[in-house]
Amino acid sequence: MLRLSFIISFILFYTNVFSQKDSSFSKTDAMEEVVITSTRTETKLGNVAVPTKIISKKYIQNSGLLKLQDILQEFTGITVVNSNLTTSLNGYPNPFGQGIQMLGLDPAYTAVLIDGEPLVGRNAGILKLGRIATGNIHQIEIVKGPSSSLYGSESMAGVINIITANPSDQQLDLQSRIETNKTLSQTVAYANHINKTGIQFFVNRYSSDGYDLDPSIYGKTISPFRDWNSNIKLTQQLNKKTDLILSYRNFNSKQDCNYMIDWQSNPAVVKGYTSEKDNTFFTQLTYKASARNKLFFRTFADHYSNTSFANLENTDTRFDETSFIQSILKPEIQFENIGNKRKLIGGAGTYIEMIDASRYSGKKQLLTLYTFMQNEWFLYNKKLTLIAGARLDKRNDYQLNFSPRAAIAYKPNIHWKITGSAGFGFKAPDFRHMYLDFYNSQIGYSLIGTDVLSTQLLQLQQQGELASGANITPFLNTPSLLPEKSFGTHIGAKYTRNKLTVETGIFRNDINNLIDVYLLPFKKTNYRSIYSYHNINRIFTQGAEIDAQYCISKAITLSLGYQYLEAKDKNILDQIKAGKVYKRDPVTYQTTLVTRDNYYGLSNRSHHSFNAKLLWENKNKKTNIFIRAIYRGQYGYSDINGNNIIDDDREMVKGFWNLKFSAERKIIHGLSAQIGCDNILNYTNPAQMPDIAGRLFFININYSFNHLFNKH
Amino acid sequence: MKRVLFYCAIAAISFTACKKTTTHAHTPAAPTTVTGTKIISVAFDPMGMANFTLFRFRDSSIVANADSATGNWDFGLRFTTFIVNSNAGGPGSAGAILVDGTFDAATTAPSTGYAYDTTTSARAIKDGSWYTYNPTTHAFTPNAGKVFFFKTADGLHYAKMELLAVDYGPLVGNPPSPSILYYTFRYTYQSNGTTTF
Repeated sequence: MLRLSFIISFILFYTNVFSQKDSSFSKTDAMEEVVITSTRTETKLGNVAVPTKIISKKYIQNSGLLKLQDILQEFTGITVVNSNLTTSLNGYPNPFGQGIQMLGLDPAYTAVLIDGEPLVGRNAGILKLGRIATGNIHQIEIVKGPSSSLYGSESMAGVINIITANPSDQQLDLQSRIETNKTLSQTVAYANHINKTGIQFFVNRYSSDGYDLDPSIYGKTISPFRDWNSNIKLTQQLNKKTDLILSYRNFNSKQDCNYMIDWQSNPAVVKGYTSEKDNTFFTQLTYKASARNKLFFRTFADHYSNTSFANLENTDTRFDETSFIQSILKPEIQFENIGNKRKLIGGAGTYIEMIDASRYSGKKQLLTLYTFMQNEWFLYNKKLTLIAGARLDKRNDYQLNFSPRAAIAYKPNIHWKITGSAGFGFKAPDFRHMYLDFYNSQIGYSLIGTDVLSTQLLQLQQQGELASGANITPFLNTPSLLPEKSFGTHIGAKYTRNKLTVETGIFRNDINNLIDVYLLPFKKTNYRSIYSYHNINRIFTQGAEIDAQYCISKAITLSLGYQYLEAKDKNILDQIKAGKVYKRDPVTYQTTLVTRDNYYGLSNRSHHSFNAKLLWENKNKKTNIFIRAIYRGQYGYSDINGNNIIDDDREMVKGFWNLKFSAERKIIHGLSAQIGCDNILNYTNPAQMPDIAGRLFFININYSFNHLFNKH
Repeated sequence: MKRVLFYCAIAAISFTACKKTTTHAHTPAAPTTVTGTKIISVAFDPMGMANFTLFRFRDSSIVANADSATGNWDFGLRFTTFIVNSNAGGPGSAGAILVDGTFDAATTAPSTGYAYDTTTSARAIKDGSWYTYNPTTHAFTPNAGKVFFFKTADGLHYAKMELLAVDYGPLVGNPPSPSILYYTFRYTYQSNGTTTF
């Protein structure tokens, strides 16, 4: 019924529109920025009807930052969060680094793309963003709101598309960087165009000694690591109508793992390392049939592996090893048809995914077929833009999924732009939800994916490992998990006049069928619990954001951003309404009913977040100073009063500031030096936020040889 | 990444003082209820080998395990397993009901509907029905707003009980692990045989 009414409303007219200007201080840019992510076709940012933000290369350079998540979190509405608290229950006892929270949704719901193709290697839903080198980024495009109409699963909260540099006039760039904790980074980038052939080459080595926030515990908080990132991109104009892009990307990372365990009743040191490798091939053939029609043929292939081992130091015998290997093949075709007052795009593809992991029983394969189409109309002298689009996804193990989106943008005059968008998003259950077969011997629980639950339970019962009297019958026909579904809306307005730009928006997302773990009502003979997954939760996230940018003078630009966010579990709200949720003060043992006002919301979400940035650039552009202040408001961490929800200040991580500073000076032609300090206030929180290193100083030396090549 | 071992990660244990109070001190009539807050030691024994800690409401006492086969105790605890003194639990007639609400507001015990320890796998109080285990902090937290009503082992009296906290005992041995859990609970026993507290 819901589906029907939604299809009707879609037919009646829905679209998706809205754009946000970047706060990249690119006021001197003569050319208007072009984005590709929001509509899968090159569009001027000013015309985009979907909430879109750009982080420019210049911003990345001015900030002096090396890690992608450090750059992203300086933007309104993007929060870097640790893997959420249930992560260890989800079968992964160790933290898995940090991911991006957008619109109040967990990292698993934001698609991260490089040049439009997926970044592979999610662990517990989180992609390690630190592995992306920032040295060859042309720009980062951020689209907020359900984007499943173009990008399918995993784009429920939005899309972050990292656009890498393209071959340009001959240019050689060298960068060397040194930072606290012996963090070193060296980059070589080369680009050239010879006749109809272009080349872009990039290699980066990044290493660190890590750091230790708590010396009383053996081992470092972040262990030493080294990463290699390389990319080679070739472009070839085959004929006047046909262009070819070939790209190969390689990531290779090695990180020590060194910790203390208890081995046969004695403390013992184990040592080993984690190795992460990602190889990506991408080809795109563009055929320009006419000025109005284009065809794109793309092939994306990826092989990702994450293996780790640890040996007992004394005996050099194997203590633990894990492996996770993921391969993806994704051929795709897309067309683009441009009319006078409209633009039509569409396409179809296949997504073949294979996984072979030590925590899954056997190799697993998934096949998804998809097709998408979107039309844009430009009406009333382009004052009004309408977009309607939809995508169909059919994975071999669940029913057809339909994700439409609609948007509208209205520009009554040069100062104002009003936008609105609405769309459906979905996220398919991933491999771990379906196939995980994991036993945690330290804590003593089993976590079994839904698709292997019945066979595993039967096997356990046959082997006499289930407690007597365990009734497994109700779990033998466990239905497959359904995709998680969302509906999101966004309404925004942008005002530009002279030196001032203000942009504001409100959003709301409703998500159903959220997958969560549950405890089976029987135990194993060794009294260990068994968990599995089911679709249960209904949540919403809503909020408002505002960004303002003001040029105080020709040299100084100030920008401010703020987001208010609420994210709550509807089932909890229903229970509170029904008077079924209590809290017991851990000190006074007073038990009282929880009111709606007491309930802060889902853990890991801050109600308030704020950023302020000040850029000073001297007239000849030789010197700049960039100061940023980022505030993350308090957020829920862990229950202490017996109701498993966040409803007490003692359950929160207090809000904190991150102050950053960088200053750059061009010394001679091509050579520039930059110094900076990250986390000036030296905020650390070893227990709750181990990924925050404390105060970091850095020096960057850049050398650009392009002036040697260019004719004067 | 530092691997935090299970037992090492257990947060510091805090206690509040054990206080015993007797209600109705201001009324001339003889008190018919026994009220108290008690902390008892319970075996930290996921393997289910150790003895249960047995408790009797009537005189707020812990009953020696030698008396486990008698009707001298009302309920028992081992790790997270609750037993009551009936059928598979013991020779008595004890039953239990878990009710949502606050301890103070629970002034009347249900007169019927008590569950008994029918078999060792079908206990009166189901494991997992009254606590939440946080795998990150390893805390066992009794769920707030759960009141246990008991019919005592003699089948003639009623008691109400609320679990307030479950804390880990000191970490001992190698690997360091707790051997006991401290259960803190408050209770009221009605000695006149009525269901009213």
